[in-house]
This record gives sequence, C-alpha cells and structure tokens, in this order.
Amino acid sequence: MPALPDNIRELDENILAFIARGMDVRDDAAFNSLALQVFEQQFEHIPLYRSWCLRRGAGPGSISKWAQIPALFTDAFKAADFAAFPGPAARTFMTSGTTGTGERGRISYDEGGLRLMDATIRTAAAAMLFPDGARAVILVIAPSPAAAPAMVMSYGMNRLIEYFGLPGSGFFIDHEGFRFQDLVDALCKCEVDRVPVALCGGTSGMLNFFERCADQGLRFALPRGSRCLDAGGQKKTAAAVTREEFVGRCSLVLGIEPQMCVNLLGMTETASQFYDDTIRSAHAGGAARAVKIPPPWTRTLVVDPDSLEPLAPGETGLLRHIDIANRGHVCAIQTDDLGRSADGGFQIFGRARDDRTRGCSLSIDEITAPGRIYAEDH
Amino acid sequence: MRKTIETNGYYLPPGFFSAHLKFGTQVFERGGTRVHLRMPEVSGLLLADVAAHVRQAQGSYLYTLPVERIIDVLDRASRRWLDKQYPARQTAIEAMHVLTGFSREMIAASIDLEMESSRKDDMWRALCSEIKNPLYLDDFQRSADLNGWCRAYGPGLVVSFFSENIPALPHLVYMRSALVKAACIGKAASGEPVFAPLYLHTIEELDPGMAACMAALSWRGGSADVERAAFDSADAFIVFGGVEACDSLLGRIPRSKKVLVHGHKIGFGIIGRTALNRTTAKDLAAAIAEDHAMFDQQACLAPQAYYVERGGEVGGPELAELVARALAQIEQRMPRGAISAGEAAALHQFRTRAEVQEIAAGERVMCCSPGSTKWTVVCEQTPQALAPSPGNRTVRLWMVDDIFDLFAMLQPVQGFLQNAAVAVGDAREVDFIRELGTLGVCRITAPGMMPLPSMMWHHDGIAALSSLLRWCDIEKREAPEGLE
Repeated sequence: MPALPDNIRELDENILAFIARGMDVRDDAAFNSLALQVFEQQFEHIPLYRSWCLRRGAGPGSISKWAQIPALFTDAFKAADFAAFPGPAARTFMTSGTTGTGERGRISYDEGGLRLMDATIRTAAAAMLFPDGARAVILVIAPSPAAAPAMVMSYGMNRLIEYFGLPGSGFFIDHEGFRFQDLVDALCKCEVDRVPVALCGGTSGMLNFFERCADQGLRFALPRGSRCLDAGGQKKTAAAVTREEFVGRCSLVLGIEPQMCVNLLGMTETASQFYDDTIRSAHAGGAARAVKIPPPWTRTLVVDPDSLEPLAPGETGLLRHIDIANRGHVCAIQTDDLGRSADGGFQIFGRARDDRTRGCSLSIDEITAPGRIYAEDH
Repeated sequence: MRKTIETNGYYLPPGFFSAHLKFGTQVFERGGTRVHLRMPEVSGLLLADVAAHVRQAQGSYLYTLPVERIIDVLDRASRRWLDKQYPARQTAIEAMHVLTGFSREMIAASIDLEMESSRKDDMWRALCSEIKNPLYLDDFQRSADLNGWCRAYGPGLVVSFFSENIPALPHLVYMRSALVKAACIGKAASGEPVFAPLYLHTIEELDPGMAACMAALSWRGGSADVERAAFDSADAFIVFGGVEACDSLLGRIPRSKKVLVHGHKIGFGIIGRTALNRTTAKDLAAAIAEDHAMFDQQACLAPQAYYVERGGEVGGPELAELVARALAQIEQRMPRGAISAGEAAALHQFRTRAEVQEIAAGERVMCCSPGSTKWTVVCEQTPQALAPSPGNRTVRLWMVDDIFDLFAMLQPVQGFLQNAAVAVGDAREVDFIRELGTLGVCRITAPGMMPLPSMMWHHDGIAALSSLLRWCDIEKREAPEGLE
C-alpha cells in the first residue's frame, strides 16, 4: 500500500490533535484554518472536485472562510469516486441506495482518513454516549462488519465495541438474519449479572425488536447506567412513531430511562457523527435537548433549497455539513435532509421528499415499487 | 398589502338542503395573498343526500334535455371562461396560484388550452367520433348498420375522484358526464378544490337545471362511510390517481359498477436524424421546450425524456443549448411555479450528477438556469430506460444510434405509456408509429403539441364517452308505431 504524502500525514496529525481536544472546545480560527488546508488538498488531489470548484470560481487562493468551500450534493458520489488518494484505499463504504434509481454512492477512505473517522467515533461517543466514563456491554442491532463490509454503520458500531465495549458485546444481525433469541439471552444475562448495556442500532430495527418483545410479553429491567443509541431514522410508513413514543417503548421494554436514549445522525458521506444532546446534558445535570450537536471539527449550515444560499438562523432548509475528518474525499457535503439551526446545534426533519401529489405524471416510486407507495391523500 | 380571496372549496346544487350540512373554513397563503376556502364537512349522510338530489334532477331534467341544448350550455360556459375579464376566471387564477404554486400565467394558459378545446364543434365531433350519431342520446334513431333503431343511455350518476391538481382538468369530467346526460359528483383533489366549484357556478348562471345535477366536494381519501355512500349511490366512476390510489379504489368499488381509470402516465419524445437539421433545429427546440414547460411537466401528457437519433445535421449538445434558450424565453412569459424543498433538492441532485458526468467526460452535457432551479437541460450520450425525471422543466435529451433502439428503453414502463411526440422525418416514421401503438402508446403527436390533446382524443386509450353508455337496439323490420 503506497504511503500518503508527508504533508498529508502532517495535516492528518493536526486534525487528530484538533479532534482530541474534545467535544467542548470550540475554536473557530483553528477550525477555519484546518478546513481551508483540507480544502486545498482536496482541490489539488481530486481533479473532478477541482473542476467543480473552478466552475464556481473557488480555489484555495480565492476563499478565506470555511463557509465558502464549494459543497457537493450527495448524489455526486453515485456518479464518480471522489477519493483524494484512490490508490491506498483502506475501506470503501456504500450508501444504501434505497431511493430513486437504486444506484449507490461510493466513498473510499485511505488509511489516514480512516484514522480520522476512528478518532471522531471515539471522541464523540466518549462525550455524547459515555459522558459518565462508564463502559457497557454493547449489543448491536445492525449487520456485523463481516455481513456488511461496505456499511458504514457496521464499521462505526464495531469501533464503539472496541473502544467502549465490555466482554459479551457483539452484533446480532449476520448472514442468517436477525438473531432475536441470542439478543434476548444476552440482555437477560446482563440483567442478571447487573452489567450495564448499551443497545445500539438502526432506529427501525430497534422498533422491530421492541415490537417482537411486546408480542412475546418480554420486558427487561436493565441495570442503571444502561443506554440506547439509535441511528438513522424510520422509513416513511404508517408505523412511523414519534421520538416520545420511541423512548417510551425503550423505557417499557428495556427499562432504559428517556434521558439515557440518544439518537445519532450518521451518513456514509461524512466521517463524523451528529448526536442528540440527551445523555450528555442529563449527565451534566441539565435537561435533555433533542438537538444534534455538530462536533467542533464540523460545521452545519442550513441553506435555501432552491438558491442554496445560507439561511437566517431558525429557518428551515437543506442541511450542509463541513467535516474536516472528510480529508480523504470532500469536506463540504450538501444533503437533501430538511432541518434548521436550533439551540447550539440543528434539528433534522428527515429527507426533503419529492412528494409530488399534484401532477398526474408517473412517479419514481410507482415504477420501483408498484403498489407500495406511501398512502396518498386524495 | 395583503389581499384576501373568499371562495368555496365545494359546489352544492341550487335548491339543495340537508340537515347534515356543517361548514368550516380553510386558510391558505402565498406571497401576501390569502385564500379563505369555505368547505362543508362531508359525511356519508351528506353525500347520500347530495346523490339523491342530483339523481332526482337528472331524471326530471337533464335526461329529457336535447343533447344540442346541453352542448350549447357547455359551449357558452367555455366561452365565458375564455373571457379574460370573467370574474370567476380571475378568482380561479388567483386562488389556484395560492393553493398549487403554479404561476398565474401558467394557470391562465391552461384554462385557455382546456376551454379552447371544449367548444361546440369539439363536443359534436367527440360524440360523432365515439357514437356516430349524437342524437342516439335523445331518442331511438335509425341505424343502417344495425338495420334497426338504436338509443344510448348514460349512467344516472357518475362519481369521479380527482387526485391531481392540473388546472382546469375536472371540467372535462363534468362535461363528459353532462354529454351523456349523467349527474356528476366530483371529489376534488386535496390540493386544488377551487376550480370545479367555480366552473359549476358558470353552468348555474347559464342553466340552473343542469347545475342541479352537479356537485363538487372534498373528503379525506379512505373515509369509509363517505366512500360507501359514494359507491352505493353512483352507477359509474371515473378515477384519476396513482397506482396505489387507483388500486385501493378499484378494490372497494362494487364489481357491478362501471369504472374508467386514468392512472398516472409517462410521456416521451423522439427526434429522428432526418428531422433534425439546420432549418428545423430552432423550431424543434422551441417545441421541445413548450412540451416540458406546460403544467411545469407535471401532467401525464408531459415528456420525461426526448430521445434524439445520432447523425442529424445538428448535434445533441447544440440542440440542448437551443432548448435552454427557448426555456429562458418561456420563463419570461410563463414562469415556472413554486416548488417544494424536496423537488428543489431532487433537481440539484440531478444537476450534480449531470455536472459530474460533464466534467468527467470533458464535454458539454448540461445547460441550466443560473442561480435557480427554473429549468435544466441535459444531453446524455448513453440513453437510459424511460423513467420519471425530476420534472419542473427538466429536459433530458438522450442520444440513440437508431430510433428503433427506443423500444427496449420503453419496456420497463410499458404499462404506463401514454403520450409521444414523434418527428422521424423520413419513411421509417409509419413503421415506427405502428410499433409504438402496439407497445401501448395511445397518443402520437408532433413536438410542441404534447400538452394539447383535442377533445376527440381517446383519453388514455379509452373511448371516454361511449364507455359510459348502455345501448338499446330495436331489431324489428318495421319501425315501432309512433317513431319518426
């Protein structure tokens, strides 16, 4: 595997040092400087992205603020590979490709980029999931890395186990599917041994688990210090539940209190993760805040869906993340998630859907899943 | 200054009374204009009362009215709506702009388009095309083909479900119902319950007896007691909507009843190499732009892609630029409407992929409106299977080596095909069109004409008038006593 250039390794060290300062140190000047250096490298090493920037009149010499870095919409990763160092790719992750044409985005991480992601996982989880310094048996309702090597969630959860997991931690979805009984047994064991649990996984999978437990009359009283981390959201179905209902079920089935439940926004396109400020606030003696906290090595902008210009605080628009841990591909990612800035962070309302109910022209959903489109309001 | 429009989101026939009538008001707002929409709460009991009323009026009046008189009233209604000073038209334009986001100019254009094709002559021709002699609707008429006498009977009551907000579409259903002397209750689309009530008021101005056979209401899809009342009371149904909405209705409407289904559809265009030359390119581009601009590409008639055959005098990228220029001009006189955040995001995602492709390939792929999502034109060398585009004036020119390559690309959406603009420009055209017809295309037209079907068109391949009829034939050698 060819080594990364020295200046890149040095940049990575500086980013790692910045991440190591933790979730509470906000240093705008240092962030801006690092973001511009990351941009400069990406401009130099990713020809496609360089052209993208030049078409927008942006280059290392012409911008001075992180907010000016040209962002790429997430679908760009379906059209091409934007790896800065495609040779020494250590890992490639794919997006789920559940919408539209079914094509999947590819994001490759070089060795240094993967170390950055690892650092964000460790630092963010230490502050947002384990602010009390506790350790737990981490039980994961998500495919194991062996079952889904290209799934970034599996990779991240595996790192959590490595950094924070007690013996007995593991994944409960493999090639055979969901090992429900094994998970029940593991939870029972923790209950008996009085060892705290961190139940982690995708939101929908977690809801399915709660439902199966309810069907079988299963309830757990997990020891104090147990917690729940759910990632992603729910598919837009009739069974969608509110956040209150989610934590309610979590409390009912597992005995985990609402302030010990945290939701995480993770994307294949960003190395960093965005946690709700619930467990951390509760630990600091404050009220839980259902706001996503951008880590200090990231910034999140809310932009107008049409002009893509930044909006005033509190207005609803599309979320754009600038993540310097994305050193290996592109640090400015434009999503089609709807959200708004709020209370030191941002709220996310889910994907801005192209829910055209006004025309009589065929929709993508009708082709890809005949008879399975969302309920139409006549 | 804020402007407020008070209008009705329903139409109840003159003289109608029900103990089950309770009203509420919905408020909509856009760009400083507010619409107060008065709507009744629709229950099964109310719907049953309305159905009984319009049925009674149909039997005692509309059924006895000569078809010529019906056509005359409908023709006068169309002419009123074509008058730019007509107050109901002005209200409709303002209110629909607020409710749907379509630009005022677009709504005005669509009213003109619908009403211009709904004139006396169009109605006579539509009837003649489908049932030969429109007087079959009035009484028994001699039929040489039968060697006897025929009469056609429309249903007593048609209930129609509109789930779309294409401006001015509902009037077509009221018109068709009236032409076959059926009473008609329309369930308005949730997003646009304004047009039908205003149109029915026009009928009331011209002939209150005819209007007594018509109603427009809205209720939440799936409201069990309302729909049961609708299913029980009507003889025939005309259903518009997506796959799921149509499936769901079809599963619940009793099998004994007549149902015409207009599901969501997909359109496309094709330009042959001979048709694309120096003399034609500019006009073709303008025509392609027109097809995409009308109804902001949201109607089933709109193209979702134009296939362009290689080897023409003018290349795809050049054609793309001409189309973009034409769209810029259209934007001046008929602006694209407001779109949702999701629609804007979908357009940006689409443009991103096209631009990345353009950079990677090193050749011009895309021309689009700067600083906004108003229009987008791409020319792609690798054609794809026909599928919905992000719409809202997105033009995809897909290059093909041969026009007959198209058929493989239409396969995945075969069941949804409807409208096709065809300009082949040489003798291959006739065979090409034959194959399109076999595949399921039900309207073939020229570029620029896609949004302009006539009233005589077999809408979605359906004989929309004659499909509603029941016939009675007299097969006797002698004319019955007393028949003229």
